[in-house]
Amino acid sequence: MITFEADGRTIQANEGETILTALKREGIHVPTLCHMEGLPPSGACRLCVVEVEGTPTLAPACSYPVAPGMKINTRSPRVLEARKTNVELLLSNHPDDCLYCSRNGKCDLQGLAMEMGIRQRLYRGKKTTHEMDVSSPSILRDPDKCILCGRCVRVCEEVQGVSAIDFINRGSRAFIGTAFDTGLNLSSCVNCGQCVLVCPTGALSETSSIADVVAALSDPDKMVVAQHAPAVSVSLAEEFGVKPGTDLDGKMVAALRRIGFDRVFDTSFTADLTIMEEGSELVHRIKTGGVLPMLTSCSPGWIKFVEEFYPEFIPNISTCKSPQQMMGAIIKSFFAQREAVDPAKIVSVSIMPCTAKKFECSRPEMAPGHIPDVDYVLTTRELGQLLRMFGVDLAAVEPEAADTPFGERSSAGKIFGASGGVMEAAVRSAYFLITGKEYPELKIQPVRGLQGCKEVRLNIDGLDVGAAVVSGLGQARKLLDQLKAGRKDLHFIEVMTCPGGCINGGGQPLKADMEAVKSRMQALYKIDREEQLRVSHRNKWVLRLYEEFLGKPLGETSHRLLHTHYAKRDVLL
Amino acid sequence: MSAKKRILIVDDDPDVVDQLTLALQGQGYEIVSAGSRAEAEETLLTVRPDLAIFDLMMEEKDSGFVLCHHLKKFYPETPVIMLTAVTAATGISFSTQSPEARSWIKADRVLDKPVRPEQIRVEVRKLLNEPEPAAEHRAPADRR
Repeated sequence: MITFEADGRTIQANEGETILTALKREGIHVPTLCHMEGLPPSGACRLCVVEVEGTPTLAPACSYPVAPGMKINTRSPRVLEARKTNVELLLSNHPDDCLYCSRNGKCDLQGLAMEMGIRQRLYRGKKTTHEMDVSSPSILRDPDKCILCGRCVRVCEEVQGVSAIDFINRGSRAFIGTAFDTGLNLSSCVNCGQCVLVCPTGALSETSSIADVVAALSDPDKMVVAQHAPAVSVSLAEEFGVKPGTDLDGKMVAALRRIGFDRVFDTSFTADLTIMEEGSELVHRIKTGGVLPMLTSCSPGWIKFVEEFYPEFIPNISTCKSPQQMMGAIIKSFFAQREAVDPAKIVSVSIMPCTAKKFECSRPEMAPGHIPDVDYVLTTRELGQLLRMFGVDLAAVEPEAADTPFGERSSAGKIFGASGGVMEAAVRSAYFLITGKEYPELKIQPVRGLQGCKEVRLNIDGLDVGAAVVSGLGQARKLLDQLKAGRKDLHFIEVMTCPGGCINGGGQPLKADMEAVKSRMQALYKIDREEQLRVSHRNKWVLRLYEEFLGKPLGETSHRLLHTHYAKRDVLL
Repeated sequence: MSAKKRILIVDDDPDVVDQLTLALQGQGYEIVSAGSRAEAEETLLTVRPDLAIFDLMMEEKDSGFVLCHHLKKFYPETPVIMLTAVTAATGISFSTQSPEARSWIKADRVLDKPVRPEQIRVEVRKLLNEPEPAAEHRAPADRR
């Protein structure tokens, strides 16, 4: 431990620590823009400058290590003026269309301008004029609003290992774009939306489907059906300023009905169904000497990642559609038959913590007979917007249960929202499928938590099974490279595109730190802890669906409706 | 008479015409192309397309709309895809989702540039009521 002084206070810090982290612990707020939790500092924005006694220039707190006896000032006139000037310079070429901006009210730059008390335009720079990139089904880019902090580039490369975007040109001509500036739609972008989460301004946002959903809701000829993903109910609260980790499941269902959805289903139901199919597929692969390790297929960003970067692993990916697509498929088949509705008249809307789901539902494989399984995907953020637009006061709404037949779920389906959840749910049921007995300890602690890579060895009826759970595509890349190098001890690997899983998906509420993500995760495990039905294979409606419609897992109808295929993608890497 | 379905592609950017031609010719469609609204109008005097893909901003900012109106006047059954960068350039977006929009945008689908080859092929097949090819029979180039 070392001791230094900040603003006249004596502060203890660890050796090698930066000024920023030490000050943060002490409750001294230093503004940042380019800083990213968990990644090495880049020192690009210079907003975190502080005065260090004895040095001639101001020092960036994010990258300057503390030293014993160091005396720093975080609020001297020189420091405040420098920070203010830096923001004023960023504003000098920024578009003045805050009122029309998707980030209005949630913009870091706007927040800083307020904090610094900027009330006049001191510098008038030439505005940058780049075309918007509206080509992607998931992510909208408006480079004019970009302040070149580089956070999107870093998350794309250093966290996700995708590198779809980077700086193009230098100096005042610099902007961020894809290879050959061709647009995200043609790039290696996997649509995960992590860039949207870290963008401080409105330069990156999701492609909105709100207008389409509003049009569908007002069309009397359409039956509009919603499904909501496991991670949405535990994060929607943050859109309304309620503390992270609050579960709004019942209120959300009631709110969706209020705004006009004819049916509200829970994607956790098809998570249970996924487990029946995927668990059976895993058992089948193990028993028949199929391709192993089997890789999960719930996360569409991950699927595109493999199709682009590791096509040799396509045979390893489970052929199961994701829970979203399974729900879409059974809504427009079993449910449509049951209700005697023409599937073409059903508008299937899915509410997801994810931007890649927007891409997934537009995949041609997901639209048999040109009728898409899922028509529109709304992110958690868009749902928040839609509820505000429709004037729903969540505080005043009484919770309601989701609709039958796809409203009942086990908590195994619910924990799909967290990294490790699919694995845990799969093991609970695969054990039953193999042995006919329940897994003795339903809580599988080693696969829980926010670590990027978790591994566990399980003994299932004398069979030694190697399982790994990774989240964040950068972590997946490392594991796939190990497999490529000949690692053979793994049988089943769960991969989620976003670090921590869907709870930290690219469609989730903005400005959440890792503590908030942790709260969302804890909320899911609390639901699991308190639930009676904790295994997918005991979900009565799933069993009934097999009895009345699907036949058996991996059967002919299942194969046609619930399974899919993948193919190598030729994109610029 | 040829059994091939005929697609008219109109865009003032020859690269786009080339890319669309490449994406669709291999699927067994006959491609006719034009580089402007005026050229397309002339082509339409002698050619009846089964489907048309129009750019929006050509000689005029609304050339594509005008072309849609003309085409639909003669061949109301011919589906039209409008493939445009108008939103990227102007911030204004058009959609054919609502009946009101469809009443004046005489296109069946509006797509933002750039499109993936597989995207345009799916839209074409959809509008021509053609089934999706079985996965195993797809050419590798189709697997994008």
